[in-house]
Amino acid sequence: MSGAAQSNSNKTKATMSDSTVGSQPLQTQKPAAQLEEDDEFEDFPVENWAKEEEVGAQANNTHLWEESWDDDDTTDDFSMQLKEELKKADSSRKG
Amino acid sequence: MATPTISQFLTGIDGFVSSRNATELADYLTLEPPFGDIYHKMIAELRQAYPAHRGEELEQMCGQALKTARSESWNAFIKFMAQYLAYLRDVSSDADQYLATYESLSELLQRANSALANVELGHLMLPTVISCAKCVCRLAIGLDKRPELIAHLRSATGGGDDGGVRESLPEQAANIVRGAFVTCLNDRSSGGGVSNFGKPQGKTVGIFVLANLCLKILFQCRKTRNATQIFENIYNLAPPLAAYPKSERVAYLYYLGRFLFTTAQFSRARRALQAAYDESPARPDCARQRRHILIYLLTCNILLGRFPSDALLSRPEADGLAMRFSPLCQAIQKGDVASYRRHLDLNSPHASWFLIFRLLIPLRHRGEVLVWRSLIRRAWLINGTRPRPDSRVAPQVDLHDLVTYFTYFDTQDPTNSPSDEPDADLAETPTYPTPHDPMPPLIQTEAIVASLITQRLINGFISHARAKFAITGVKNKNGDVLAAGFPTVASVLTLGDDEASDVPGWPVKKPSLAAGMLPRPGPGMVFNLSGARGVGA
Repeated sequence: MSGAAQSNSNKTKATMSDSTVGSQPLQTQKPAAQLEEDDEFEDFPVENWAKEEEVGAQANNTHLWEESWDDDDTTDDFSMQLKEELKKADSSRKG
Repeated sequence: MATPTISQFLTGIDGFVSSRNATELADYLTLEPPFGDIYHKMIAELRQAYPAHRGEELEQMCGQALKTARSESWNAFIKFMAQYLAYLRDVSSDADQYLATYESLSELLQRANSALANVELGHLMLPTVISCAKCVCRLAIGLDKRPELIAHLRSATGGGDDGGVRESLPEQAANIVRGAFVTCLNDRSSGGGVSNFGKPQGKTVGIFVLANLCLKILFQCRKTRNATQIFENIYNLAPPLAAYPKSERVAYLYYLGRFLFTTAQFSRARRALQAAYDESPARPDCARQRRHILIYLLTCNILLGRFPSDALLSRPEADGLAMRFSPLCQAIQKGDVASYRRHLDLNSPHASWFLIFRLLIPLRHRGEVLVWRSLIRRAWLINGTRPRPDSRVAPQVDLHDLVTYFTYFDTQDPTNSPSDEPDADLAETPTYPTPHDPMPPLIQTEAIVASLITQRLINGFISHARAKFAITGVKNKNGDVLAAGFPTVASVLTLGDDEASDVPGWPVKKPSLAAGMLPRPGPGMVFNLSGARGVGA
């Protein structure tokens, strides 16, 4: 049975992996963005890891989300355009 | 005809069953080519002595060689081994044979599932079932991406005379894997599934790895609705997720988060995805997995009014995500409806990317409401009324201003071009001032404002007669009109979120034996009350 055991080291997943199956001419017809990314969640290369290896345990893992983002500036281009539209609407009403 | 290699192989397999060695058993049952020498010898012997029409003889031979299984009446294992040898005989790495390979392998997995169901010895099959399920999963997804290989199946099964919808190939694959998952979930031989040290025992070891394979297939073939039962089963019967390896936990929470996202439960989805992200390994070779989690986490958070910081967007896994999401955040911030729509338009350079991740429609439908909220806020800043602090009159936004803004946005929308020929049916209808009919009527604007009030994204009321939105609650905010009228989105949309509460589908407690047998109560469940005593009895 040593041959059987040895065969395991020869195993490759390439033959049946979806990357091989998927890398056929069909995909070349898709837009470039689709070639870059796929929504398939790949298996992790390891089964387990230490707590300190986790993203959440890293030193820079705070203040990642901003909840107070309201913008009060009414002098930006967008606000100026809105003001312009109000003027136009006003003058057309008067006219 | 002499088949010395097959005999030697089956003797070895019998030894592993006898010594209860599940790991070695799975290792020897190689599934994927290229095979080692001994397998090639076996394949040659099988083709010579047991061609396809001699299936019965093959099974008899297996029965004779596998003494332990025979003596313990584990016939399902003998049938499994016969199918394994048949699979080995027929397997081909030729791409044109993927479908035949898939069919043979799915038959093998079904037999493996039957062997797994054995109460005494079934657990020996678990590693084999898992490796077989992984292959079935890869092939099913691969075939789903190669429609030309399964086109004849689709035409043969697509809509029968009875009008019923037949299962697609990936759905069939998911159902076979689900069979193994259910066997593992229902294994009560190991005392609730978890040891005193908190480790899964017996077949319950396989619950999440098999569930994840099922979910992977269902998400890839876009049949996420079929995943409902998996999440319900796990929530009701599985040991705590925390008892399982982190790779399984993170993958499961990713799928759960995505599932909750598709059902518009953004707050719960966010919690599952945040936990998945936080628990992911920070190592460079896992950036791709973190990226997938982050893409959905970002979307959930944005829809809940929580924007990513620059620090988050500069992480390796967020490479390129700023150009996808930051313009949306900026449009929400400003109330720039036209830019928001343009970024998510089908003609936008970003549309295909959002479509790959199935985010285009949710962002369009769920996100624009946040842009409207900021637009109304900006409308007040630009032209709203500002009564004196001691006045009894509420600060107001003129709804005509909003109509003007929406009209302007419509002119910016490239897909909203006017038709050359007016609709004859509408010719007599009083219409809007512009010839192109883009202006939303006041009533539509009122409806938008009313919906925002109902969702508590803005505080106040509509004066229909005066066409005004009046902001209320200013006194309670010490005269701060913006704080009164426009509470932060996150404070509204995450109101009532209890971080300690359960997320459906995420088991955190060890099911008691009773709970293990009976699902937790929920809608649509039937309870047998025959043993219940009358009140006061």
